[in-house]
Amino acid sequence: MNVEMHKLLLVGDNPFHGISHLSQERARSRGEAIVSSADQAANVVLTSLKNGADGFSFSVSELTLSILRTLRERKSIDQVSLYAMVPYAFEYVRVATQIGTPGLVKRFAKQVALTGNVRAILEGLWSAVRTDPEGLMNTYLAYELSRIRSSAGKQAKLVSVLLNEVIADMGVALNFDWLFKSFIRYLSKRGITPGFNTRNFPYFVNKFNEWGINLDETLIVTPFNKAGFQMNPSKEECEKTLKSLSRQNVLAISVLAAGYFKPSVAVDYLASLENLKGVITGVSNEQQAHETFKLFKEKLP
Amino acid sequence: MGLLHASLLSTFEDAQLVALCDKSALMTRVCRSIFSSTGVVVVNNLERFSGLALDAVYITTPISSHFFIVKDLYTRGIVRNIFTEKTLASNYNQAKEMSEIAKKIGGITMVGYMKRFSVVFRKAKELLAEGNLGEPLSFNAYAYSSDFLELTKDSKSFASRGGALKDIGCHIIDLALWLFGDVKIVDVISSYKIGDSETSVSFTAANSNGLAGRFDISQRMPNYRMPEFGCSVECPKGKLDVNDDRLRLTFGDGTQKIWYRHDLQDNVRFSLGETEYYRENQEFVNSIIENRTCEPNFDTALKVDYIIDQVRQGAAKV
Repeated sequence: MNVEMHKLLLVGDNPFHGISHLSQERARSRGEAIVSSADQAANVVLTSLKNGADGFSFSVSELTLSILRTLRERKSIDQVSLYAMVPYAFEYVRVATQIGTPGLVKRFAKQVALTGNVRAILEGLWSAVRTDPEGLMNTYLAYELSRIRSSAGKQAKLVSVLLNEVIADMGVALNFDWLFKSFIRYLSKRGITPGFNTRNFPYFVNKFNEWGINLDETLIVTPFNKAGFQMNPSKEECEKTLKSLSRQNVLAISVLAAGYFKPSVAVDYLASLENLKGVITGVSNEQQAHETFKLFKEKLP
Repeated sequence: MGLLHASLLSTFEDAQLVALCDKSALMTRVCRSIFSSTGVVVVNNLERFSGLALDAVYITTPISSHFFIVKDLYTRGIVRNIFTEKTLASNYNQAKEMSEIAKKIGGITMVGYMKRFSVVFRKAKELLAEGNLGEPLSFNAYAYSSDFLELTKDSKSFASRGGALKDIGCHIIDLALWLFGDVKIVDVISSYKIGDSETSVSFTAANSNGLAGRFDISQRMPNYRMPEFGCSVECPKGKLDVNDDRLRLTFGDGTQKIWYRHDLQDNVRFSLGETEYYRENQEFVNSIIENRTCEPNFDTALKVDYIIDQVRQGAAKV
């Protein structure tokens, strides 16, 4: 076990998207009270940083890209370490619902073309002709990276790109080792830490060990909370797997069990976990940002 | 949905993903490429499932194709055990024929009404069965989404979802039948259509014991980022409110008890989408292994198609 100096604290974007995993009712009622613009969201991110957060973790969507643009306009982007999650599955599903899957593919191809990234366009076309999934994934990653860079600018510190949980968990279930190997290869070459979001932490780690993929140079984002919420197959198995890792590379999410616990209750459990690299938690307003990150900074040395 | 079920089944110790079928030439090529290292056979014609000695087939195609695919699978003798996504068929007559053929063949069947496998809805059923609140007097059930909130004209993707009743309404109808037993349609209160498909509909129902119910179904509700299903049940000694996320009991003296998913052991061996998908697949696989009836099967699910047909007939008169 390798002990690092202090826990990495990231502010998450779920409240900005109106997501509550506790209940949709709560998300709807909260939606009226919380941030409603990129400007307000940027204030929440900056307040979090002032109170101990080290960076911003976000799904790449039009909303979060506009938050990055706001931070850039305010000349604050260089203060924020960025951890980007792709794809923002909800947005793609929503578009497919409205215009169908072929419509989604056409729209995506058009957006890739509009980036003007000639290499990505040619690689994408060639991969489509050969039905090469690895090439198509590289084109997709090039597209997402160009979106982040054009919004955040050259001064931004993009630390990690993480694969969304639905894709990552499908990939491990279906034994798609090629997906993970090529994802790691593509990002590592560009100096970006590859990361994975999973709701099946022990299964995920076992698969990587079986495939011989070294997890040490990656990040894993997965739920850890006192209630065992979303910790599959069980809280005990997840804790055991965490202990077994040779390096601290796990960031805990759902730490408040989606609002089921207050930060003061959640933090004691997190402090008891050995081998945790850090925590990602969403906050809805500046007051919450101040209280939560101040507390986490103090209690999670 | 096909990839979701394929992924979950791949994590089961007692199941093996053997083959996939997609009639689209492009999808077949893509699937062959991404599954190339897994040994999974990818075909574009059901006939090519013959000879693979399949124990079960999952049908996750558009509703309008379920009837023809099920008949084809049974007629060719490809498989005896079939899971089909909801709804069972496009209409009651097709559903009835499918159920009759399945009975003759004698295999295990299941229809993807996965809400029955949610820990909160299961707890609601358990509490109603215990009877501490007394026999239910009335209920209000809803299925809401914002999927077509901004839709003003008909589109192919909208039509392919089969309308609000087939798309989301069927889940809450199935839950009501599961919780309260058979109900009959009393009246269709309102219905709003775009093209040939309804985007919202409200109707009332009742059972022979005097239980009165109301259903409100809409794909045009603001602020429903994800579809949500729920039901409020009035009983002599209190009220039970349940939705996807929580269950609340309100007693006569105003005291309340609330359970969230967190309180109801929602963990599964492998989670993808919602945990109920894992339990649903587990039930189907175990039913085959143990050679026992699976619920909800074709016979159970055809009741949902019957109610949908009745509501649509009633809506045509509104």
